[in-house]
Amino acid sequence: MKTKTFRQNAVTYGIVILFYLICQGLILSGNMSSLMKGLMVPICYYVILAVSLNLVVGISGELSLGHAGFMCIGAYASAIFAVCVDGKMPEGLELFLALIIGAAITAVFGFLIGIPVLRLRGDYLAIVTLAFGEIIKNVVNAVYLGVDENGLHFSMKDSLSLGLSEEGLTIMNGAQGISGLPRTANLTIGIVLVLITLFIVLNLMNSRQGRAIMAIRDNRIAAESIGLSVSKYKMMAFVISAALAGVAGVLYSHNLSALQATSKNFGYNQSIMILVFVVLGGIGNIRGSMIAAVILTILPEKLRFLSDYRMLIYAIVLISMMLFNSAPKAIEWRKSLAERFARKKDIPAETAGKEAR
Amino acid sequence: MAEQKKNMLSVESLSISFGGLKAVDNFHIQIKPHELYGLIGPNGAGKTTVFNLLTGVYKPDTGSILLDGQNITGKHTIDINHAGIARTFQNIRLFGNLTVLDNVKAGLHAHYTYGMLSGIFRTPKFRKMEREMDQKAMEILKVFDLDGAADYKASQLPYGKQRKLEISRALATEPKLLLLDEPAAGMNPQETQELMDTIRFVRDHFDMTILLIEHDMKLVSGICEELTVLNFGQVLCQGETKAVLNNPEVIKAYLGD
Ligand SMILES: Nc1ncnc2c1ncn2[C@@H]1O[C@H](COP(=O)(O)OP(=O)(O)O)[C@@H](O)[C@H]1O
Ligand SMILES: [Mg+2]
Repeated sequence: MKTKTFRQNAVTYGIVILFYLICQGLILSGNMSSLMKGLMVPICYYVILAVSLNLVVGISGELSLGHAGFMCIGAYASAIFAVCVDGKMPEGLELFLALIIGAAITAVFGFLIGIPVLRLRGDYLAIVTLAFGEIIKNVVNAVYLGVDENGLHFSMKDSLSLGLSEEGLTIMNGAQGISGLPRTANLTIGIVLVLITLFIVLNLMNSRQGRAIMAIRDNRIAAESIGLSVSKYKMMAFVISAALAGVAGVLYSHNLSALQATSKNFGYNQSIMILVFVVLGGIGNIRGSMIAAVILTILPEKLRFLSDYRMLIYAIVLISMMLFNSAPKAIEWRKSLAERFARKKDIPAETAGKEAR
Repeated sequence: MAEQKKNMLSVESLSISFGGLKAVDNFHIQIKPHELYGLIGPNGAGKTTVFNLLTGVYKPDTGSILLDGQNITGKHTIDINHAGIARTFQNIRLFGNLTVLDNVKAGLHAHYTYGMLSGIFRTPKFRKMEREMDQKAMEILKVFDLDGAADYKASQLPYGKQRKLEISRALATEPKLLLLDEPAAGMNPQETQELMDTIRFVRDHFDMTILLIEHDMKLVSGICEELTVLNFGQVLCQGETKAVLNNPEVIKAYLGD
């Protein structure tokens, strides 16, 4: 068992590295279109978003619909930092610190939002996370933030009310967002962050803490009866997931020269899309959500003519997957299919269970 | 007071009602350390509800529960487990998607600790603890003849083995008192006999106190030293197994069932 998970994880890392080598090869040999080049960093942050959401949806078993909100926090926190230190430190150091700040601040918000949200269950939790996601996006759009020799200025009205001095610098300009960002993200950095995300999530899953998280998901009452703290481990999964979404946000903001919060990038449509990655790749299946994220990021760009129907297609995919995964008829069908395979490969586990019933 | 200290479990005037129904009414029980104690009674008598009260799933309306001298009345399920009570469920509750081994390791959670970062970075402490957990878990699984199925998903196990896995998981938390809710339900006579032997072995091998609910009278008479009979939420009769089973009121309650 141990060696099996180890091998599984090695394959997952291997796929990422192979993907990197192929893409890097295509870029260096000049064989990649500029359209595809532009997709490299987005692919990385979508993979991080999908894998981290799977930690909450698949591993912890809570349906969260506000993942884009955490991405938004990470993006804005890191963008504010980037503007503040612009030109004062090397790019590499700036990005490194931005990642840490983005992850840390998003983790704090994840914790604060988790306190009320994790008291809820099922549909209620889903709806409240969706609401929080929208609140974050809208609040960010209403904030004006500036800095001058007197320190930080803050307003919810407009940039004039900041009362900045002549040398003052507007950092956040309401709905116009933040401009003058360093575009330092690239494929290599993205892939490193994907690997770090996988490392954290996969190792967590195969640890004492991950076991507790999954035990609580499988049976809350039984988990409490053996002394597992439900609130502690639900929170752990939620905060780590949020922090990783924050990292995706940092990657996002460092791939643009100007950052704005729109319903397209940080709205619930985005959250749903990340959820589609997770559902399509298989709830709880880390490698699957990674692959789904890559395919569903590239495909719409390749099929531009379908772009009007993108959300429609996602909705249909989501419904079909849900039916495939939970409709009794579909489950029956898959069971009979699995049995046929099991007989071929002679796996005793499935058949042993069947006979004794 | 000295008398009470000696008891592993000491319950006085425990009651709870659901709406108008007094599900458990003035329940009391004294269980000595190392005892194998049976709680019997017809369906709907309130046996499972007593377990739910003892483990903090329900808060009692009145009454007190002392475990090994420690007052655990009204405490949370999690704290009651840490205080030393573990249980199984009448309707099996396993971690279905985890392996058999991981189900037991989840039970070991509180006794083999390392931090989250230790786990993520695979530190030597992580390796050591996981290795020890594997050993300990396999040791427990062996008692129930489940070691061969360690890598299966818990939900793949046949019914009888699932019941045994639940007991293994409860044992892993190293309780002082083990509560078993109809452990032989759904088993054939031979499996039942084996299970009863195993339960007695567990009591001796792990030096445990066991309270077990059983519907089938013949079964408890074989292994329990003392019995409490519950009927309509109330204690009908209490004492040594032989005496209780010959009590005319008990016979009447069971015939009327
Ligand atoms: N949560 C609950 N809400 C309402 N009634 C309950 C609840 N739990 C148990 N009861 C009732 O209490 C009575 C005793 O149930 P139970 O303890 O399960 O019986 P037993 O385990 O002896 O068969 C039953 O009438 C049952 O319907
Ligand atoms: Mg019952």
